[in-house]
Amino acid sequence: MRLSNFGQDIAHVDLASGRVEMRPAPEDWTRKYIGARGLGVRYVLEAGAEVEPLGPDNLLCFMNGPLTGSEASMSGRWACVTKSPLTGTVTDSHQGGWSGARLRWAGFDGLVFEGHSETPVYAFIEDGRIELRDASDAWGKGIHETVAFYQERYGEKNLAVNAIGQAGERLNRFAVWVNEDDRAFGRGGTGAVGGAKKLKAIVIRAALKKSEVDDRDAWKAVRRDALDVIRDEVNITSPKKGGLSVYGTNVLMNVTNRIGALGTRNSQTTSFGDRAEAISGERVQETILVGDPTCHACPVACKKEVEVTEGPWKGLRMESVEYEPAWSFGSNCENDDVNSIAKLIDQSNDLGMDPIELGNVLSMYMEATERGWLPSGAGGLAWGDTAAMVAMADAIGLREGEGDLLAEGTTLAATKLGHPEIAMAVKGQAVPAYDPRGLKGMGLGYATSNRGACHLRAYVAAAELGVAPGEGEPLDPLEWKGKGELVKIFQDLHAFSDSLDFCKFSAFAEDAGHYAAQYSTAMGVEFTADDVMTAGERIYNLERLYNNRAGFGAGSDTLPARFTEEPSTQPGSEGHVSELSSMLAEYYAARGWEDGVVPASKLRELEIV
Amino acid sequence: MPEVRVRFYATFRPIVGGKHADVAVTEGASAGDLLDAIVTRWPELHEHLIRPDGGLSKRANLFVDGRAVRFLPEGLKTPLRESQEIDCFPAVAGG
Ligand code: SF4
Repeated sequence: MRLSNFGQDIAHVDLASGRVEMRPAPEDWTRKYIGARGLGVRYVLEAGAEVEPLGPDNLLCFMNGPLTGSEASMSGRWACVTKSPLTGTVTDSHQGGWSGARLRWAGFDGLVFEGHSETPVYAFIEDGRIELRDASDAWGKGIHETVAFYQERYGEKNLAVNAIGQAGERLNRFAVWVNEDDRAFGRGGTGAVGGAKKLKAIVIRAALKKSEVDDRDAWKAVRRDALDVIRDEVNITSPKKGGLSVYGTNVLMNVTNRIGALGTRNSQTTSFGDRAEAISGERVQETILVGDPTCHACPVACKKEVEVTEGPWKGLRMESVEYEPAWSFGSNCENDDVNSIAKLIDQSNDLGMDPIELGNVLSMYMEATERGWLPSGAGGLAWGDTAAMVAMADAIGLREGEGDLLAEGTTLAATKLGHPEIAMAVKGQAVPAYDPRGLKGMGLGYATSNRGACHLRAYVAAAELGVAPGEGEPLDPLEWKGKGELVKIFQDLHAFSDSLDFCKFSAFAEDAGHYAAQYSTAMGVEFTADDVMTAGERIYNLERLYNNRAGFGAGSDTLPARFTEEPSTQPGSEGHVSELSSMLAEYYAARGWEDGVVPASKLRELEIV
Repeated sequence: MPEVRVRFYATFRPIVGGKHADVAVTEGASAGDLLDAIVTRWPELHEHLIRPDGGLSKRANLFVDGRAVRFLPEGLKTPLRESQEIDCFPAVAGG
């Protein structure tokens, strides 16, 4: 597995004819767009920004990065890139676990699916071969059952099963792909694109392969440097010592609650008060935690496996109780029962739905119910009614009853109810767990994300909450000035790490210098920290070009009025709204964009055209 | 104000041995005085809370009514008042 050969082994699979062709990525593309996210976006752009997301012309790309599956720390990730049926933008999502690594070990750098199959199929991949096989006998199954089904057929050893559930099959607009039962390409509805193509699963059998590089000693040294900072006890990534490792992402619940940045009751308020503790990472650790699973080559092990020991879901063992769904099914639905949250996450993983969007669509529907905005005959949902939430999650996954409307996603469903203002979403994708009134930079990050509201395109919450590796200093979460430039920097840095493809959390310890050293040594090219930022900026602008061509422009980078017009009433952020227009002006100036549109001069400067 | 209730979180809890503690301070104490009292009582917290050159470590947060002390106009000199909510966190992030 020669790392510098990355891009040579891309399989193009025509699902209509069943034909598979191996075609290397153009050298110019891998040089400019690196891999994974960047390379996937370049392929999707080639298909045209006007394609119907659920039509046969949309491409569904599963892309490794040049370091996926290597010995570099936190390198188990790969990207799914397509045009989103939820937003109409280009979208990319990333999975942890081992699937990306196994694809690389099986001899592939990426898979590009085009066309629609007439009947359900799955792709079986092993030893440099890829074959489409009949999936009629798996169609209709949930993801857990699908994984078990293929494990029984092929054995568990060295096997990765990446599948859609019933939600994807039924074109739920926020359906996901899940591998290893619980690691999802979580956002943007990539699972619905799979469902439209009748692609049920990607099954990969491959054993660990070692990387080959020109300078083995240098490769070892640069990896050691990165691992040293990940392990450093001052960083939250420090195994078994840092907050992320010990409590997982849900270590955030109490802090966002205390500073007035935890959306509650469909973001009507910004704190869950003393009830947040009951759904926090600390509480999970004290009560139901049973394991700390990890991903390929990751010493952090931030995943949190739990077993429910009481109540209606007693005996449920699942992973992972993360901050995002603990918020979306928790405070945002006025629910402080952590066991029900575990159940709802597991349902999301089994039916195959994005738990952020699902939680938002439930909280939106709760608000609609409270305000009497339901269609006649609809039963609605009460705040914090966990049994009804679980039943509704099934209905949404299966598109039954009221679930059929909600399967359209928060924005479309609220619009059909006649009240788009209660959809907490940007560009059609629901917001994550950081209220923009209490964390100003996150609001700008949501508004300017190229895939709709997203916390991970520009994770400035790290700096706003005091995680500033190296020489960095914490920044005031309530200060809007300076956030334009900051969001740009984070977006560019993360666009690069998403293209390597490294776990986003590596940035809590590593910096652009670490990324550059590992990339340049693996590929045998000169590459500096400045080159990291330029490549990231190029990728971000490439995505924006796609979106501009798809019709997004002036006015598209926005936030729900609730965040810009209704001041927070909670301690920490009391009296604050998001100063979005001021931040946007700063951001566009830093980007060199005109009203959200990339000018031709910028495209030339970044060698995109 | 002989005692201030401080809530602790995440990796600070095992050190303190609970979710909160009442910390003794003198009348008219500032946030900085409270910080000193905390590290005096739990020396293990010193390396987490205090910079090598003194002052609040960038890897910790002390909140007074939800506002990080480092961003308040008077910083660590901020006087404490009755019935304020005090929270002490390590720097945390996730996704
Ligand atoms: S930090 Fe967590 S999500 Fe990232 S690679 Fe490690 S275990 Fe996976």
